[in-house]
Amino acid sequence: MDGWLRHQIARRLDSLIQRGPLEPLSRAAARACKAEPLRPELAQPSTESTCIETPPASSRANSDALAQLNLIMSAPPSDGYGQPLDQQAQQQPPFDGQPAPHEATAAGKKKKRGYAAQAFEVGTGANALAGGQLPVGQQYGAPPMQPGAAPYGAYPQVEPQPVAGVPPAPGYQYPQAGYGAPQPVAASQPAYGYQAPDQGYQPPAGPGPAAGIAGITQGMAGMQVGGQPQPPQVAQQGRPTVLNQLYPTDLLTQPFNPAELDLPPPPIILPPNTSVTASPDANCSPRYIRSTINAVPTSNSLLKKSKLPFALIIQPYGALHDDEDPIPVVQDQVISRCRRCRTYINPFVTFLDHGHRWRCNMCNLSNDVPQAFDWDAAAQQAADRWQRHELNHAVVEFVAPQEYMVRPPQPLVYLFLFDVSYAAVSNGLLATSARTILDSLSRIPNADRRTRLGFLAVDSSLHYFSIPKDSDENGETSMLVVSDLEEPFLPVPHDLLVPLTESRQSIEKFLQKLPDMFQNNQSNGSCMGSALRAGHKLISALGGKIVVLTASLPNTGVGKLDMREDKKLLGTSKESSLLQTSNSFYKSFAVECSKNQVSIDMFLFSSQYQDVASLSNLPRYTGGQTWFYPGWHASRPEDALKFASEFSDYLSAEIGLEAVLRVRATTGLRMNAFYGNFFNRSSDLCAFPAFPRDQCYVVEVAIDENLTKNVVCLQAAVLHTTCNGERRIRVLTLALPTTTNLSDVYASADQLAITTYFSHKAVERALSSGLDAARDALAAKVTELLQTFKKELAGGSMGGGLQFPANLRGLPLLFLGLTKNVGLRKSTQIPSDIRSAALCLLSTLPIPLLTRYIYPKLYSLHDMPDNAGIPDEATGHIVLPPPLNLSSERLVSYGLYLIDDGQVQFLWVGRDAVPQLIADVFGVEDRTQVHVGKGRVPELENDFNERIRAVIQKSRDHRSLGVGSITVPHLYIVREDGEPLLKLWAQTLLIEDRADQGVSAAQWLGSLREKVVQ
Amino acid sequence: MMSGEAWLFLLAVLINAVNLFLQVFFTIMYSDLEWYGGSPQTALGSGHMRALNASSAAPDYINPIDLCNRLNAYIIPEAAVHGFLTFLFLINGYWVALILNLPLLGYNIKKIVDNTHLLDATEIFRKLNVHKKESFIKLAFHLIMFFFYLYSMIVALIRDESS
Repeated sequence: MDGWLRHQIARRLDSLIQRGPLEPLSRAAARACKAEPLRPELAQPSTESTCIETPPASSRANSDALAQLNLIMSAPPSDGYGQPLDQQAQQQPPFDGQPAPHEATAAGKKKKRGYAAQAFEVGTGANALAGGQLPVGQQYGAPPMQPGAAPYGAYPQVEPQPVAGVPPAPGYQYPQAGYGAPQPVAASQPAYGYQAPDQGYQPPAGPGPAAGIAGITQGMAGMQVGGQPQPPQVAQQGRPTVLNQLYPTDLLTQPFNPAELDLPPPPIILPPNTSVTASPDANCSPRYIRSTINAVPTSNSLLKKSKLPFALIIQPYGALHDDEDPIPVVQDQVISRCRRCRTYINPFVTFLDHGHRWRCNMCNLSNDVPQAFDWDAAAQQAADRWQRHELNHAVVEFVAPQEYMVRPPQPLVYLFLFDVSYAAVSNGLLATSARTILDSLSRIPNADRRTRLGFLAVDSSLHYFSIPKDSDENGETSMLVVSDLEEPFLPVPHDLLVPLTESRQSIEKFLQKLPDMFQNNQSNGSCMGSALRAGHKLISALGGKIVVLTASLPNTGVGKLDMREDKKLLGTSKESSLLQTSNSFYKSFAVECSKNQVSIDMFLFSSQYQDVASLSNLPRYTGGQTWFYPGWHASRPEDALKFASEFSDYLSAEIGLEAVLRVRATTGLRMNAFYGNFFNRSSDLCAFPAFPRDQCYVVEVAIDENLTKNVVCLQAAVLHTTCNGERRIRVLTLALPTTTNLSDVYASADQLAITTYFSHKAVERALSSGLDAARDALAAKVTELLQTFKKELAGGSMGGGLQFPANLRGLPLLFLGLTKNVGLRKSTQIPSDIRSAALCLLSTLPIPLLTRYIYPKLYSLHDMPDNAGIPDEATGHIVLPPPLNLSSERLVSYGLYLIDDGQVQFLWVGRDAVPQLIADVFGVEDRTQVHVGKGRVPELENDFNERIRAVIQKSRDHRSLGVGSITVPHLYIVREDGEPLLKLWAQTLLIEDRADQGVSAAQWLGSLREKVVQ
Repeated sequence: MMSGEAWLFLLAVLINAVNLFLQVFFTIMYSDLEWYGGSPQTALGSGHMRALNASSAAPDYINPIDLCNRLNAYIIPEAAVHGFLTFLFLINGYWVALILNLPLLGYNIKKIVDNTHLLDATEIFRKLNVHKKESFIKLAFHLIMFFFYLYSMIVALIRDESS
């Protein structure tokens, strides 16, 4: 390698990766072209050691990166929005993982074809088999009749499941591989590196030998640093020339493929050198924060013009337990924050004065770097600043020192309010919940041995339980009954709230006895309001959780509620009054609880009207959640199992306590409105007495001043006490590029985040001005977006279709799904309790769960591809069949389908399902013997049955979705010719169909088109 | 010797002045809530105000709960006093003054009947702009009415003198 070439490579490397193991090699070159941003000399000692290790390190890096490169190359097109047409055409049929797709498919599907063949003749079997899939490929890929005629990269058939050995398809690669990956590409193939600054949705490109390389180039283009057209321009902090490309598609001729909903959002393309370290985690992952627009307009007028909302969807926790979702923790209590705007130091600050000062990326104030920043206090030696978590990771947790506490960290407190009235005893709620708590005692977080539990039984009077310590020889659990409901007092000052560790045996004994104590209770009263007050009194000094388990409407005492549902009101404009609180106690008490750090969770079980609308206010303003189990009865094993498993997971969750959430942003941006379950203690501070791990929050951002920077940052900080008594701050920093261009804004818009934002807005609207207003607002919004796109970006002409960017293609259908969701649907049949519970879900579910709640997953099981239902060789995860559009056209009469909205699953058995299929899946001879209703798939000794169960299990797996949730959906088995109500219910999830008062997807798009074109 | 008319308008001036000051108080309280809670960068000179509060746990705001409790105490009395004044105009037959006051009276009654007259701490930040606007409009209305009553009172006094 001659000197010049070496220099070139070094330069390119350097532009790729500012500080990697290769750094010393590229350093001189970097200095020469001034690409290297300021790096303080403080770090010099450690650089020396890197120098010594350089050759092995770089070669290791090379091989690592090569491995990653291979990954990129062999990655399935599942990441790609746009792919070259010709590639696309080559790539069909849908499941081409096998070397010889047709033969393999044919052979592999012998069984399925067999099912079909018995119903019809063999010939149609093949067609019918394809019926579920082939059209998908044809429609979403290049339309066969006009390949290449499509003006833009046709939206490809997207394969949701990685298939090993797919030919390298040069789809757009999202920057998953981080900075490091493309490195050796530049080294080994310098001629191809930085060929073109192609980014975003890939336009049609020529096929042929260059395809693989194009793939690499595109892969790199997605990397943050790969975006600059010319390496020498690295030093210029110019606006990145290319953000995501806009690819309009026609919504009418290229229908929406539900697999697109699983795609990551359009990538955030930052200019090079935005972050101080080259860490791939420097920017916040969409798992924690998603922005509705990944390119921020520089002015408010542009944002207004775009009609798109600017909001963050923040989900600070990705799992119920820390070990499932580890986050780097800064242990040394050195927390550097901006003096003025209180921003936490993050990967996007800049260092000045040889690293002695740092400039805040929010308000530009320069701050001193604390002395301890470069000092490892544990090892008593100088530490390398560049290794610090807060400079390498956008999501970190700081252990907070004393100043962040208003009082010593509180222990975890659970106070259980059991309903012991006749209704709760007779449906087995009391016994099941006591049993579940008993079994889950070891799962309740108690690492610091301070966790306290308390119990209160409630019917028309309050029953306190004084539980002695285990060490107390003569201790007997005693029950103290108080019937003064107006001013509930504590009968004894102590032993009502006992430490779990010290009273474990007494608690166990008590929980075993509890169901028997009230076995013969005939009381029909429930003074839950008074009980809540009493409970609040009991724990308000400490704060904590009040867990309400009730099966009756609170009908005596404080906060008394009436049976106010009137079937005649349903479906009318007066319906919204049923969704509002009927007793102001439930608001004022919630506020009081929030003040005293008391959080309330509601588990509601009534078979009759329970006024979920009023009761759900308590969780709404105290950081809790409402779980509703309509018609629950412990005698049904499915019901008991569902609740027990959910409740046990609920108790095991490592919740945060005494939390506040604040979002800070670059000067010019302002947090305008907050949505979610919390109380706004000031206009920009959200207070959570307990911070749950299964919810997300929406923060609307306003642009107050024109933005002059190329990048804006938004930082969410959650100050909380962990359940083991440590004060911590979880900081999430998101950097977004700015743009002056409307097409960039549209090309970077995230349809799922937008839907989540409008879902929260619609719930607010429904509660304040009614369901009609909420639905109309949604329809108006999507029309407005389509009109804006037509007017501003599609040049005013639509042709015969309805143009919208590829990354927003799902939006009209998601909005349709939202207006047809049980929470918002126009119907005279939905009881207000069910509606209220659905509205609670719509305003709390994290994005992945909300998406399927709005647009459920439909899997075809009878003809699922051969790799579906078995673990993937590469990842070990169960492969799911491709999701289908939610339309009954997709359901063939001899088929078996799974419809899953995350809350319920339906296993749909077609009218003409063949006996062999029934026998394989359900183990019964005839279709009519299949048990309809809540149930489960029996475990049988055959391959197909195993795969079906694996798919059902996988479909309800939250962990693979990257969210924490306790929900275990019920599985309902539905026969197409069985129980009509159940069938109707399942069909309401098919949102692309015409339902009693709702339009079909085609009508919806047609009406949108009419409004847009006129 | 002052006539009944002059006395009535004197009373109206006084009552109106009280309502005027109440609205000023409301407006100040609303802006306080917004100002202190608002983004530090948008509020002028709030830099060191923030710096005083080292941690995000420190109470650096006017508590919306206290604010609501405080303001809610005045809402019914204000409406009642205004209603009383309107009633006096009605029984004394001052039709112009009555008609001028009717819109506000109707608005107040409607809010009380709908049970939306009290401030709600859980929604105060979302409705702050609405409340502020309402407060401003009432302020302007009371200011105009103040001069109207004053004028009417003087006219009545002059008439007393001349008669």
